[in-house]
Order: sequence, then C-alpha cells, then structure tokens
Amino acid sequence: MNSLPLTKSRVALQNCDPKPCVDRSLTTNVTDYSSSSLEDLIAAISEKRDKRAFVELFKQTSPRLKAFAMQCGANVSDAEEIVQECMLNVWRKAHTFKPKSGTAITWLYTIIRNRRIDFARKNRHETVSSDDMWLEESGDELESQVHHDLSGEKARSLLDALPNEQKQVVYKVYFEGKPHSEISKDLELPLGTIKSRLRLAMNKLEILAKEQMSWLIIILLMNF
Amino acid sequence: MANYHPTDELLMAFSAGQLPNALGLMLACHIEHCPDCQRKMHQFNELGGNILDSLEPLALDEGAIGKLLERLDEPEPVVEKVEMLPGIPRPLQRFMPAHYDNLAWQGMSSSLKEFTLDIDDDRYTTKLFRIAAGKQLPEHTHKGNEFTLVMKGSFSDKTCNYHAGDFVLADTSTRHQPQAANDSDCICLAVMDAPLKLTGTFGRMLNPFMR
Ligand SMILES: [Zn+2]
Repeated sequence: MNSLPLTKSRVALQNCDPKPCVDRSLTTNVTDYSSSSLEDLIAAISEKRDKRAFVELFKQTSPRLKAFAMQCGANVSDAEEIVQECMLNVWRKAHTFKPKSGTAITWLYTIIRNRRIDFARKNRHETVSSDDMWLEESGDELESQVHHDLSGEKARSLLDALPNEQKQVVYKVYFEGKPHSEISKDLELPLGTIKSRLRLAMNKLEILAKEQMSWLIIILLMNF
Repeated sequence: MANYHPTDELLMAFSAGQLPNALGLMLACHIEHCPDCQRKMHQFNELGGNILDSLEPLALDEGAIGKLLERLDEPEPVVEKVEMLPGIPRPLQRFMPAHYDNLAWQGMSSSLKEFTLDIDDDRYTTKLFRIAAGKQLPEHTHKGNEFTLVMKGSFSDKTCNYHAGDFVLADTSTRHQPQAANDSDCICLAVMDAPLKLTGTFGRMLNPFMR
C-alpha cells in the first residue's frame, strides 16, 4: 500500500469513512488557491497559516520581487537572498497587511524595499535599519483616510497615467536613487528637462490622488 | 500641525528607500506627525507597488521555495525592546542616549549648544541644536545643504516662523539669522553636508569653532 502513488491513496481515503487517526490534511476540504487574488492569499496566510497559500503567493510574486531587487542593483545571488528574506517577512507579518489601507502589491513593495535596504546596510555594518524609518512594514503610520476598496483598476492606473518619458525618470528615482544631476547625465538630457518631467509626474499623481479622494467622498455621501 | 514640508522629490526618494540614513530618519520624524505627507507617502508607495507590478518576472533558483518552506517554522528573531523616551519621535528613539534635558550638550556659545547623534551616514552629519530662549544666532550661510526639523519650541527667521514639526531646507543661497522664541529654548534636528560658514563680524570670529 505504501508504494501506491499519492493520487491513488487520496482516492482510497475519500472512499472510506474518515477515521480519527487519518491525516486531516488529506481529508479536509483543500482550497484551490490557483486563481486567488494576492489579497486573499495574504489573508489565508495570516488567518490560517496556510503554507499552500504561501507557496501560491510565492509563485505569483517572487519572480517580480527578484526582478525588483536586481533593478536596484543586486546581483543574482543577492537578489535570491533578498527575496528569501522578503517572503519570510511576508509569512511572519501577514497580519500587518490591512486591505483597507492599500493593495497587496503596495504592501509587498514596502517589504521588498525594506529588505533590500537592510541587506545593503547589514553588509556595511550600519546600525540604522528600515524599522527605524517605517513602522511594521506598512510604509505609513496612518489610520488611512485613503481607502482603496474602490477598485484595483484605479490603483493600477497610477503608472499608466504617466507618459513614457516621465515613467523613465520615475523608474530611475525608485531603482537608482541618483541625484537629478546624475539622471540627467545618464539620459543625456538637460537637468531642467529631468526636473520638469518629474514635476509633471508629481502633478499627475496629485490629481489622481484628489480624484480618489473625491470618489471616497461621493461614496461616503451615498452611504448616508 | 506642520506648515513647512519636505519637497515631493524628497518624499518620493524616501518612499523609494533611496535617501541617505540621516535624511531618511529626519523625514520619518516629520511624516510621523504630518497627515499631509502621510497621504503623499501612501501615494508614492502605491506608485512603488505599480512599478513592482510592472516588472518582467525573473525565474527563481529551483531550490528557492524548498529552502524557504524549511525556514517558515524557524523561531522569529527577538526584537530588542527599546525603552521609549517620551516626547521623542519614534524614528530617533534608538539614537537618543537621553532626553533633551539630560544630553551632554556641547557649548558653542551661551546661546547655542549642540549634540552630535551617532547615525551612520557617508555624506551627512546629524546634530541637535539648542538655541536658548529669545537668543538670535549670528547671521550665516551654508556651504552645502542643511535640512532642519524643529523638534521642540519655535524659531523665527526674517519673515517666517517655524514650529515643532516644520521641515526647513537651507542651501548655499540661504543667509539667515534664526532667533528662538522668548518662551522656551528651541531644539532642532539638523542634517548637514558641510560646515556652517558665518558671514557677519561676530560670525567670522566664531567660525573656526563652529562646525
Ligand atoms: Zn508634511
């Protein structure tokens, strides 16, 4: 019997009455996570400590987390290690994710950012850590006035709202943290152009933020 | 509530995790008590999330998930508890050896005292300045950038009044003579990349000792 493939033994178990001694993981309803949203996966990790939800989250997000670390200048093996630290934090801190104050991808961003920073600092033996700057990985200490129940679409549109030339400067700020003067050298563009592209991007973001806020007000009004 | 805030460029770089340690801690102190900047930070983090989302996926090492699953049941590292000093912003707690009144202030003059904080940073020095109530500093300019965050009390400078929480940027073009309000000493956190350069006569005399 022991040599039967797993699929067969599972069938066998389902066909007989569950006994108290039967391994519960094989008999209880197994949730299929393959089409779950990131938000639901994090909730399952937090509430049920479900390792399968964790594996699914890993599948869906770690390749982008690795790409992020590498864009920030990490080599392949460092990037792998940063992703390990990041996912370990996701497992431990899943309960700090508050769907009402932001999207899952934003939460993951704050974690990979902090792990990337701390990885670099550890190698330089510095005492300052990301915990000093950001409380509980949430990136912001607010009991947020900005609600994101609106829709995922809305949140995704931030980057899409920027023309490519502005996007390019924003990417440079996030990945390389160079002063504007160096960005201008890299892109072979005048400093003024860099500054104005960044300013235009900021203005666009501010407009979008206000739109989100006014939608929130409309929704609040409708609820009364 | 603060009236003077870090620029959007600084806030974006902070959200991106790209500021030098000293400046990052200073921004964190301001943001802790500033709902406006918290809202902006939220926005910039969201943009960071969008950027993460937009990246071309890179496959991980085959063994990565197995290695990770083995580590999930490891005990979590114990976080050392720091005794919180009341009235000090959270980001500075680990770097303040004592409350303002019990720090070993170094006298530069009777009206201005300083205390250097031990914060690793390649570029910037971090200091607390204490301007005695009602006293005015000699006029000075700056060789580089100086970022100031009012921690306690208030000071005025020509036309502006700065209160606790306000974030002030002085650069090489700023020539100023800050004066503390009469009712209490003013304590400021300062992050600077070059020594002060004094301009007045009194300033020239003091300059060699004032760094
Ligand atoms: Zn502010």
